[in-house]
Amino acid sequence: MSEDLIIGIAGSGGDGVISAGESLLTAAALEGYHCVMTKSFGSQIRGGEASCRLRLATQPVLNPNGPLDVAVALNWDDFKKFGAELPVESATIVIYESNTGVAPDKLPLQGVKPAVVFSVPITAMAAEHAGTDKAKNIVIAGLLAGWFGIGRESMLAGIRKKFAKKGTTIVEGNVRAFQAGLDFTVANPLKEDRKLSAPQSGGQTKLLTDGNDMCAAAAIFAGCTFFGGYPITPSTEIMQFLDREIWKYGGTVLQAEDEIAGVGAVVGASFAGKKSMTATSGPGMSLKTEILGLASLAELPLVCVNVMRGGPSTGMPTKAEQSDLFQAAFSAHGDCLRPVLAPTSVADIFGVTVEAFNLAEYYQTPVIVLSDQEIAQRKETVDPIDTSKFQIIERRRPTGQELVNYTRFKITESGISPISHPGMVGGNYLCAGIEHNEQGRPTASGEMHARMNEKRFNKFNPLKNRRDLFTIEGDPEAPIGMVSWGSVAGVAQEALRLAQAEGLQVKLLVPRLLYPVAETVYQDFFASVQRGLFIEQSYQAQLYRLVRMYVDFPAVVKPFAKSGSNPILPSEVLDRLREMVVAIQSSQQQPEAVEN
Amino acid sequence: MTTLEASAKTLSLTKFMAGDFKSDLKPIWCPGCGDFGVVTAITRALANIGRAPHEIAFVSGIGCSSRIPGYTTAYGFNTVHGRSLPIAQGIKLANPELLVLVASGDGDGFSIGGGHVAHAVRRNIDITYIVMDNQIYGLTKGQLSPTSSRGRKTVTSSFGSIEDPVNPLLYVMGYGASYVAQGTPADMTGLAKIIEEGIRFPGFAFINVQSPCVTYGMEDQQLKAHKTNMQSLESIGHDPSDRAKATELAREYGTKLYTGVLYRNPNPPSTYGQGVIERHDALKKSAVPRHEILNRFKPSN
Repeated sequence: MSEDLIIGIAGSGGDGVISAGESLLTAAALEGYHCVMTKSFGSQIRGGEASCRLRLATQPVLNPNGPLDVAVALNWDDFKKFGAELPVESATIVIYESNTGVAPDKLPLQGVKPAVVFSVPITAMAAEHAGTDKAKNIVIAGLLAGWFGIGRESMLAGIRKKFAKKGTTIVEGNVRAFQAGLDFTVANPLKEDRKLSAPQSGGQTKLLTDGNDMCAAAAIFAGCTFFGGYPITPSTEIMQFLDREIWKYGGTVLQAEDEIAGVGAVVGASFAGKKSMTATSGPGMSLKTEILGLASLAELPLVCVNVMRGGPSTGMPTKAEQSDLFQAAFSAHGDCLRPVLAPTSVADIFGVTVEAFNLAEYYQTPVIVLSDQEIAQRKETVDPIDTSKFQIIERRRPTGQELVNYTRFKITESGISPISHPGMVGGNYLCAGIEHNEQGRPTASGEMHARMNEKRFNKFNPLKNRRDLFTIEGDPEAPIGMVSWGSVAGVAQEALRLAQAEGLQVKLLVPRLLYPVAETVYQDFFASVQRGLFIEQSYQAQLYRLVRMYVDFPAVVKPFAKSGSNPILPSEVLDRLREMVVAIQSSQQQPEAVEN
Repeated sequence: MTTLEASAKTLSLTKFMAGDFKSDLKPIWCPGCGDFGVVTAITRALANIGRAPHEIAFVSGIGCSSRIPGYTTAYGFNTVHGRSLPIAQGIKLANPELLVLVASGDGDGFSIGGGHVAHAVRRNIDITYIVMDNQIYGLTKGQLSPTSSRGRKTVTSSFGSIEDPVNPLLYVMGYGASYVAQGTPADMTGLAKIIEEGIRFPGFAFINVQSPCVTYGMEDQQLKAHKTNMQSLESIGHDPSDRAKATELAREYGTKLYTGVLYRNPNPPSTYGQGVIERHDALKKSAVPRHEILNRFKPSN
C-alpha cells in the first residue's frame, strides 16, 4: 500500500494529459485524500508539450515536489522536455504509449532503468472502445484508477456527467474506455500492491481550487468591490474569477488598456472610498511601479498581487520564481515603505489576501502580495476554512468633529490620519503625488517633507511586531535554523519533518510578512542558531539578502537558492541539514576562526 | 470659504457662485497664463451645474494645467504624468454619483498619456476631459510638445522640429467621441458654456482649450492673438450634429481657431455606467453571502 503517490503525466497539448490529471484529482479529493496538482506547459498557445504532476496522500501534502512514483508518457519527446520537473528514478513505475515504438528495456531515460514498465496501447484502446483517440485521457484515468485504487466510482460518475449532453453513445463509449483501462490493470497487475491507503479524513468535504481563484475569493470575502487589471500570465485567473463574481456584490472589474491604467483605476476607486485590488506578474509589476508610489505618498489603500514568474523581462511566464522580492520592496523611487506579504500555499493565500486588505485599509497603503506561478496555478485540496475567525478592517474615516477644518494628512501619534472620500461633506481635500503639508497642500519645504516621511514610515512600526505573520516550527532552541517563504516553504516543511524523523534538532521560520523586515523576529530566531539556511527560488537568494540588510545574523547562515523552474527537493534540503549537524559537531571539537 | 461651508450650501438649496468652487490656494502659474481663465471658466460652469464641491472629483496629471484641481474646492486628485484618465475612470466607476472632471495638458494628454484617450472614449464613461493645449512644455521650461508645430524651435528642437504635431480634435473625433468642443480663455463666456455643456452631456466629453503659454509660447498664440483669430463655429453656421463636417473642420486644427461645439452626437450611445447598473441589477440576486464564497470550491465530478 502507498501513503503518498506522486504521478507525472506528459504528452502533447491534445493528448488530454491535463484532463486525465484533473479527473483523477477531483475523484481523489472527493474521497478525502490530500492532493496537489501542478500543470506545466511549453510556451505554445495550443499544442506543444503539456504535463501535470499529482501528489495524492493520506497526510497533508506540503509541496508537489519529489521524484515520480508513477510516470505516464504519451510520447517520450514531450516527456523529456520537462526534465527535472518529472524526475524518473529506478523505483518509478513507468507507463507509456506503446505506439511510440520504444521497447520497455530501451526507454530514453539517461542513466535510469525503472524496474516496473508498462507499455500500453492507450491510443488504440481509446479508438477501439470510445471510437475516438480523444478518449486517451479516459483510458489513462482507468489505468491509474486500477493500479492505484483511486476514485473508480467517482470517475465513472464524472464521465457520465461530463458527456451526458453528448448522448448515450458517447457516454457509453467513454465508460468502456475507462473500463478498458481498468481491465488492463487486472490483466497486468503490479507485483507489489501500490494502492493508496484509505484516506484518514474520509468523508470530510475538502475544498479543491488553485491559488489564483482562492486569492480572488479572499478578495470578495474581504469586501473588495473594484478590480482593475490587464491580462498577464500567470495572474489572469484572478481577474477572470472576479469578473464572474464581483458584479454580484455591486462591484466592478475593469479590464484596462494596459497595466498602468489597471492600477490607475484601482487608485482612483480607492480614492473614491472602495476596497480595490489589482493583480499582475513581473512585467506588469514593473509598469505599475510609479502609480504604487503615488498610492504610498497619497496614502491610499490598495492590494496589488504579483504572481511571480521567471524574469527579468518576459523571462519564463509559465514557471514559478521568487525573484521579485527586491522589486516588491524597493522599486518605487523615493523613500517609500510598502508592506509585502507572501502566501505559502493555496490554503494560505486566503488568509494572506484578507490580511493584505486589512493592512492596506488600516495603514492606508498599497500592500503587495507575492504569490507565485506554482501556488497560483496548482490545484490543491484545502481543509474547510472557518471564515468567522477572520476580522475585516475598514479604513479610519473622519468623525463629524474631524470634518470641521478637516486635515487629511494630520500628523497623529500613530501616523494614521482619518481619510475621507469624495461625496463626504466637509472632507474635501487635494490628494496628490506631490509632497504636501497636513492639509494636503503642495509643499517644497524640506522640513515638511521630512516630517511626512517620518509619518509615512512610523505608521508601520507596529507591523514589525506582528508575530502572527510568522510561523516557527520545530524545537525553538534548535542549533539549526531554516528560513523559507512562498511556495518553497512547503519544501522546507517537509525537510523539517524528515530531519525530525532522523532525530535532528532543526527549526523553521516561515514569514508571511517579508517587508518591512521584522528585525526582532529574526534576531530571536537566530539566537540559538549555529548553522542556518535560507531556502528560496531565486538566483540571488533575495530574502536572505533583504534580511541581511536589517539583521546581523551569524555568517554561518547561508542561502540555498536556485533559479526558477528548478525544483528544490526536500531530500536535497535534508542533505544540507545533515551536513550542518556534522559541521556543528566538528566546530565544537575544534573552535573555528571568527569570520569577518 | 471653507469646504464645509460650501458644501452646506447644497443642503440649504442655496445657489452656488463661481467663488464657491475657488480655493484660497495661490496658483503657481506665470502672470497672464491662459490657465487662469480656464479655472475661472470651470468654476463658472460648476456654479451653473449646481452640484456641491464635495460631490465633485477633479483629477489631473502633471503639467502646469494639472495644478487646477488644487485651485478648486472640489475633491482634487493631482496624480502622476499621463494617468489622469484611468484614475478618473476608476473614481467614476467606484462612485457613479460623483461628477468627475479631468484636467490635462497637451503633453499629459497626447504624449505620455496618449494611449489612454482612445480607451476612455470607447468606454464612454461619463466624465469630462478638459485639455489645456498650449503647444509647449511649460512646467519643464519650454520643450517640444506633441502639439508643437513642425519647424518649431525649442530647447529640445534647437534646429526646428522635424515631426508633425498631433491633431487632438481629429484624434478624438476618430476615436468616436460623442462630444467634442474647443474653446479659449479669450472667450470666457463661450469656454464656460462648452464646459458646462460637456459636464451635462451624458457620456465622455472632450474639450480642447487653446490656453496660451505667455512664457514659452509664441506671440501669435497669445490671448490677444486668439481674440482676433478665433472664429465661433456657431457664427459659421456649423451644425454640431454633422459628424462628417465636424471631422472636416477638425482637420483645420493648427491653422484655424474654431470655438464652440464641434460635434455633439444627437443620439448619445449608452454609457459604461449604464451598463454597470444594468449588470448589477441583473446579477445581485445571485450573490451568495461573502463568507460563503468558498463554497464555490467544493469539488464535484
